[in-house]
Amino acid sequence: MSGVQLPAPRRAAGRQDRHSAAWYLTVGVLCLLMLIPMYLLVVNAFKDQQDIVSRPFALNPADLTVRHLVDAWNNPDFDIAYGYLITFALVLCVNAVALTVCVPAAYVIARSSRLVFRLALLFFISGMFIPTQVILVPVIFVLRAVGLMGTFPGLVLFMASTTIPFTIFVFTGFIRMLPKSLDEAAAIDGAGPYRIVGQVILPLMKPILATVFILNSLSVWNDFASPQLILGPGSGLYTVTTGVYASVGEYSADYTQVFPTLLLAVLPILVVFVLTQRWVMSGLTAGAVKG
Amino acid sequence: MVIPAMVVFVALLVVPVGYAVYYSLTDYNGFPTQQPEFVGLDNYQRVFATSDITQTMMVTAIVAVVGSLLVNGLALSLALLLWRTTRLTALARVVMFYPHVLSLIVVGFLWAAILGPQGAVNSLLDSLGGSPLPFLSDTTWALGTLVCVIAWAQFGVQLLIYLAGLQAVPSDLLEAARIDGASRWQTFRNVTWPALAPSVTVALVTSMISLLKTYDVVVSLTGGGPAGSTKTFAYEILAVSFPKREVGLASAEAVVLIVVAAVLAFGVLAMRRRSDEAAS
Repeated sequence: MSGVQLPAPRRAAGRQDRHSAAWYLTVGVLCLLMLIPMYLLVVNAFKDQQDIVSRPFALNPADLTVRHLVDAWNNPDFDIAYGYLITFALVLCVNAVALTVCVPAAYVIARSSRLVFRLALLFFISGMFIPTQVILVPVIFVLRAVGLMGTFPGLVLFMASTTIPFTIFVFTGFIRMLPKSLDEAAAIDGAGPYRIVGQVILPLMKPILATVFILNSLSVWNDFASPQLILGPGSGLYTVTTGVYASVGEYSADYTQVFPTLLLAVLPILVVFVLTQRWVMSGLTAGAVKG
Repeated sequence: MVIPAMVVFVALLVVPVGYAVYYSLTDYNGFPTQQPEFVGLDNYQRVFATSDITQTMMVTAIVAVVGSLLVNGLALSLALLLWRTTRLTALARVVMFYPHVLSLIVVGFLWAAILGPQGAVNSLLDSLGGSPLPFLSDTTWALGTLVCVIAWAQFGVQLLIYLAGLQAVPSDLLEAARIDGASRWQTFRNVTWPALAPSVTVALVTSMISLLKTYDVVVSLTGGGPAGSTKTFAYEILAVSFPKREVGLASAEAVVLIVVAAVLAFGVLAMRRRSDEAAS
């Protein structure tokens, strides 16, 4: 499980310590290229249709207006604040369900050498390769059979199930690295298995919990297919992604609606990313096995 | 203690796969009043004999293969550029990575607005006296645009993988190569690449597997058009067959995709094992 550890920051290993001018130029130009779409998104969210179409790159303070941004925020068809609320609740609930069921399971699998549990681990891991968007059609019928189709709990359960294989895989690897003598000591003191997990193992799992939380949150926040198919238009529930699809998809020629709506949709995740980029990026490196 | 996880996992991930196999052998419109009617392998025959559907397979194959080559090529070259950890490379990594945290549905709409007939790029070309380019309105261009947009949005993760992989390059060998006066290319070819090659193969196939599922960005960037030229297999399942209430057909398509993904995944595991053995 060396893959879960963060690469140690590397000191320049005796190689030439300074970059050449060509290097600065290349990296600078590439960074600009990566940022141009973001620049266009931000600048054009404050302009009128005429200015967007004729001078998309211009940044003239006299032409800027917050009117369209306010309109997008108050759009009667897509209440962005409500979309945030649903998406945020989704992120929290999926993580709560996934972590609650995965931590004990991973503990038992990691600590037992019985064949049943080794097979169980393989069974969970094989789930990592099921393309989740593709099985949504049969998932709809399963959820309908238990009466959870088109409901928030149904969506939470499905999304949690898609995170289980990877979560158990990573947790099991992590718990195996924790010394067994810790839980033996707790057991001698009379602690049951749940107590050992809750009071001994869980506090030691903080780094891996953070990694998994970040990875799961990112994929839940950005998922579109699951809420689109499971919630459907009839439920009245929408996430940021399905709301953006419903409001931008129809009016994609009206740039005064497109740019402000998209900006409002990405702003929180970008702010969170910039503030936490160190953890997000090292967490993703650790989780890269997920593919 | 394993049971709760097992129940959620089996009920919502394993059982649906079973359902998919079952429905794929039936004719079913999804209404509770209708009984699925057993039709044998008819749906699979339709999957492989309908030219609309085989075209979506071609598109998906192109997206997966060209897309993963592009993503990994970009990621590897940038990883080599941003190898050393300085304040500037740390910033550049964040800049290279940020599209990954945006949802693909937003990425698609954003690029559609930038590359559309009235979009920023064509407006710029127009003011420079050039003629507009059909980024999204020509069938060949649209597929190319789709692949490039996916690469723009996705290569950040592979970049991180390669940056981590570069830590494994033995620094004493690099030092030795420098002292012996090896050129940059010779150093890359003989020192860096051999240390990196196993992770490159794995990264290529894992990104291919994830590109097989391409759906969101098609919905927002092209809607599958023009003339179905950017319809991927997952788009066909979720946005064409299912809305037409062809549950049997959609399930057969899903099974085909699951099998392809499983074969590729098995290949990755085999390759991992082989490279682990080679390393030890």
